Amino acid sequence: MGCDVVMAGGDPATIAAVLERWEAAFSLFRPESELSCVNRSPAPVLVVSPLFARAVEVALDVAAATEGLVDLTLCGRWPEVVVSGGLLFRPPGLALDLNGVVKGLAVDEAAAVLDGPGFVSVGGDLAVRGPVDVALPAGGAIRVVSGGLATSGTASRGAHLVDTATGSASASCWEQVTASGASCLDADVTAKAGFLLGERGPDWLDARGIPGRFVSIDGEIVENRVWHQAEVPACT
Amino acid sequence: MKENSRIERARRRAHAAKMWLGALTALVFGVAFVGAKTHAPGHAKGKAKPLGAPSSFEHAVRRSAVQGGQIAPPAQPPAVSSSTS
Repeated sequence: MGCDVVMAGGDPATIAAVLERWEAAFSLFRPESELSCVNRSPAPVLVVSPLFARAVEVALDVAAATEGLVDLTLCGRWPEVVVSGGLLFRPPGLALDLNGVVKGLAVDEAAAVLDGPGFVSVGGDLAVRGPVDVALPAGGAIRVVSGGLATSGTASRGAHLVDTATGSASASCWEQVTASGASCLDADVTAKAGFLLGERGPDWLDARGIPGRFVSIDGEIVENRVWHQAEVPACT
Repeated sequence: MKENSRIERARRRAHAAKMWLGALTALVFGVAFVGAKTHAPGHAKGKAKPLGAPSSFEHAVRRSAVQGGQIAPPAQPPAVSSSTS
């Protein structure tokens, strides 16, 4: 996936096989990947693999849950995409980008095949089985008790997150947003949404009970209420 | 005379062919008309059923894709770091 993979608690070859399966199907940089083939096809209806259909279903759920912030069409046309019974319906020529969900899904599946307690991290987005302490952007650390943790932003790849309202690279006030989710997928999606929402990000995550930590462009760290409550040890 | 007889027979054949074609056209129209009325009625003859919600909608309702995880203060040196990729 073009990212560093760090893991503990499982067989590296098994984890690599899981990640390679996702990469082979969804890489936009491999002309032979299923996603590349789908995007090249002018047909409005296509037969897709069960893995592809599942990923599109999840991406549509994510688009609905984030009110289109994380959109597999990158242009607000996700309601026009339908997947049913192994068939993909989409307007001819409408390209799909499943990067918003594929890494999270791949990491979650890889973590599910761990032999025991441990974690899988792909490019800094991770899923855990058992508590794992994780270093955070701009300093500090947190213990991920369950689920996943992901960071989105512009720190390493520049302005690559697309604001679907404008169709151009997002001009967020944040440099990096870290979120804790029930899975790596949840964490990744909500980190992206928090980033794209800019100043409204912390409140949006709070309203959904999601811990979020925001690093602004000038280095200021903002924790939303849910994150702050989780980070402070309970008084006894 | 013989010439006129041949022309007359040809006219009769043409007339008969036109009659057959007309009858066949009327028959096809009639069958199509009855078929259309039977299979595409203006009002449903059976009991109306409610439309099912799309499966993607039901899935989204069942499982929200934005659920928070569980975090706590760190207790050990970090084993891994979270960062943008």
